[in-house]
Amino acid sequence: MPAIAGPSSSPQKHVVGSRLEIIGGLRSAEVNTSRKRKLRSDSAAEVLPVNLMSTPMKWKSPRRCAVSTPKTSDEEIKEDSNGDLASPVISAVKNLSVCVDVKSEWNPRDDEQMKAVKEALHVSKAPSTVVCREDEQRRVFEFVKGCMKQKKAGSLYICGCPGTGKSLSMEKVRQQAEEWAKQAGLPCPETVSVNCTSLTKTTDIFSKILGKSESGRKANASSSPLQQLQSLYSQKQQQSSSKMMLIIADEMDYLITRDRGVLHELFMLTTLPFSRCILIGVANAIDLADRFLPKLKSLNCKPVVVTFRAYSKEQILRILQERLVALPFVAFQSNALEICARKVSAASGDMRKALCVCRSALEILEIEARGSIDQEPQSPVPECQVVKMNHMLAALSKTFKSPVVDTIQSLPQHQQIIVCSAAKAFRGSKKDRTIAELNKLYVEICKSSMITPAGITEFTNMCTVLNDQGILKLSQARDDKLRRVSLRVDEADITFALKEIRFFRNCLL
Amino acid sequence: MDKETPAEKSLNLIRGRLCAPSFVFRPLCASSDSNYSKLKFIVSTSITEGCNNSILLLGPRGSGKAAVLDLVVGDLLQEFPDSVSVIRLNGLLHSDDNCAFKEIARQLCMEHHLLFSKMASLDENSQFIVAMLRECGLAHKTIIFVLDEFDMFAQGKQRLLYSLLDAMQSVTSQAVVIGISSRLDADQLLEKRVRSRFSHRKILFLPPSREEFDGLLEHLLSLPADSSFPSGYVSRFNEKIKNIKSDTRFKDILRTLFNANSTMNSLLKFIFRAVSLMNLESGLLSLENFKAALSSMQRQPKLEAVRDCSILELYLLVCMRRLEVKEQRSYNFISVMKEYKTIHDSFQTSDYYAQNVCLRAFEHLRERQVTCYAENRGQTQTGEYRPMKLLISASELHQGMRSHACCPAILLKLLDH
Repeated sequence: MPAIAGPSSSPQKHVVGSRLEIIGGLRSAEVNTSRKRKLRSDSAAEVLPVNLMSTPMKWKSPRRCAVSTPKTSDEEIKEDSNGDLASPVISAVKNLSVCVDVKSEWNPRDDEQMKAVKEALHVSKAPSTVVCREDEQRRVFEFVKGCMKQKKAGSLYICGCPGTGKSLSMEKVRQQAEEWAKQAGLPCPETVSVNCTSLTKTTDIFSKILGKSESGRKANASSSPLQQLQSLYSQKQQQSSSKMMLIIADEMDYLITRDRGVLHELFMLTTLPFSRCILIGVANAIDLADRFLPKLKSLNCKPVVVTFRAYSKEQILRILQERLVALPFVAFQSNALEICARKVSAASGDMRKALCVCRSALEILEIEARGSIDQEPQSPVPECQVVKMNHMLAALSKTFKSPVVDTIQSLPQHQQIIVCSAAKAFRGSKKDRTIAELNKLYVEICKSSMITPAGITEFTNMCTVLNDQGILKLSQARDDKLRRVSLRVDEADITFALKEIRFFRNCLL
Repeated sequence: MDKETPAEKSLNLIRGRLCAPSFVFRPLCASSDSNYSKLKFIVSTSITEGCNNSILLLGPRGSGKAAVLDLVVGDLLQEFPDSVSVIRLNGLLHSDDNCAFKEIARQLCMEHHLLFSKMASLDENSQFIVAMLRECGLAHKTIIFVLDEFDMFAQGKQRLLYSLLDAMQSVTSQAVVIGISSRLDADQLLEKRVRSRFSHRKILFLPPSREEFDGLLEHLLSLPADSSFPSGYVSRFNEKIKNIKSDTRFKDILRTLFNANSTMNSLLKFIFRAVSLMNLESGLLSLENFKAALSSMQRQPKLEAVRDCSILELYLLVCMRRLEVKEQRSYNFISVMKEYKTIHDSFQTSDYYAQNVCLRAFEHLRERQVTCYAENRGQTQTGEYRPMKLLISASELHQGMRSHACCPAILLKLLDH
């Protein structure tokens, strides 16, 4: 059963994944030609071909079997909400409460345990079930099912901020569609999964679709792929039960050209009388369909829009817990996870960021643990060193803090005076000044504190250095002195950075 | 060829050290809190655990970002000889997507001894890169992408960044992307999709503090006690360095330097100049070397122009300054001459020249860019009536006149009053 490893993959890439279940201590071996971690620990030759078609591949380390207790050794997170599960292997449904009791101790100095946790939190690891997106997934799946049942074409548009699980859900929907087709006895749909950033020309998408289409016709020299597709879909098919084509176009806004031709034609393909394609477009803009495809509305074939909202705090927390609950030990304190979820959901609701922050907190803990090894090799391992609030707060500040404040604090004195004078100069409505005016202000400040001001050449050099760092913005001009300067940094940041030094505090009053 | 004297040998040794970034930044490896260790930790855990990562190194120009990165990469290539390969791109050269993909493909081909075809299209190159990433992932080889001038890659459609960071989202590839930039807000320049895939690790390179710089001086300037130098010479040299460092005047010099520009680059340049001025006969450094180095680094061209002026030109400058003090915003040659005459009348100076001589001196001042026309319009007016302005400040004029070889005292008095 083909299953795709990652969201962005070319149509030709197929990865055979099969997943084994262990019950009671049988070793689990997994063949996956693309899973390098498996190869590291044992040979790739062990293939036990029990196919689990329903659940997508869930990577499981054989090492964990040694660590885990019998109760937690086989966990099978229940599958998606659809409930169409035809798994021949018994899966022990994990009881969360049971697991919490028997979780073993976690030692941050243990390399393997650390590795396991980090992998569980890595962005590239696709979880077995996609939690918190059941609703949206179901809607898309119903749409696809409907199209397949009635053998009609249709188009769907999925939008949402980055990091909200769109591509992930599309993969799951695709697998669900294939299984369902098998069950219902319909022919399995052909899938074309295209990431539009990889197209050199926007019209290449049509050749990709044509290449996959059932008739397998190569692009003729006489007509473009688009015309061929259009002719294909305008005539009645020879076979009555021809396959549907599922087209998933990721990052669809790369197809937007000035005349919006390609995007339009793509959606129009679904309106042709004998069309067989189900088009799912994924992008970030909510109103892409309205803005760029106004004509479709008049033809009454506007695509269905499914919005993936940014994750809320509870959703992020739940997803993090799901990822970690599979591990046989407790690595994070619950309030640490909670504060991470709260901060990330307030900022952007981006799941990738939450995972990143958690990994960063893990690393801080690791450095701490390692650091204590270096200092006292004989000290006993402190009990239960999990990721606590202080680690998580440090990781959050590292991720969300801008380096501007630190840099301003460590600038040489003259450059600090320049930044200070710029802050004063741009307080009012004037948004940019020439270098000569700024120089005057700078000289004034220097004089007021008996510091020798630097000459104009030196001053211009320092302004260029600050421009390089992104603190000031310098425009080009014929004459050095006529260049216009504006401030890129917030004045509040400057005040905050320089508040320790009394001189600047008084200056900025 | 005759043998080098110890002085020359030590000079060569120290200059060689200053020009080798690996030597300069080596003490950083010892401390566990430095940027070197942070970077090394992140990259080595990515290699050993086989997970993908992306890091940004930020800091002003000349603060040692590329040098520290080279150190880290060199150490990693030694530790893991077969599992690391490095691809280097520069934002100034490869910001165009076509160029960048071609360059990556070419470097990958070189690493793995494959044949590279210049005719390959962008599509083929990108498919090749994806395939190579997958193969390297299978073979447990980590590819480190070093993107210099990262903010240049963030112009345009950011396709290269998107494809690289997207490839790292899949489990099949094992790569680390390290970006180097001098813009602090480099990650704000990224598009939201690219920023979401970037893992927000930033390492800030700050200029060294005074204590760190002291340690650095020690590390760079002390000669090793090996047999290539006569032993007495080594101890004398190191003793002299210690004396200089504890001198308060040296501390003042350092403070002036730190107030202007405290990046590693400028500090290394300062030491280099001081060392190059070493007296080869005595073979020891002295405080004067450092003073001369400081003044050569902080040149003031206008000051030097004033210092070279003739007495008449100085008179004219003082007159212009006095007019400015009297709130006369615009003045031309005629008004300067009037002021000149007033001075001569009140102080009976001996330097009173005719008008055409003064005009020539005035022109000289304009040619040397000590004065210039106040406006660019009004070209039809003759030179005498065009308004002029001074291009140097009062303090520069003061300083220049004080350091002038033979400036009459009366001029200084006139300037002050």
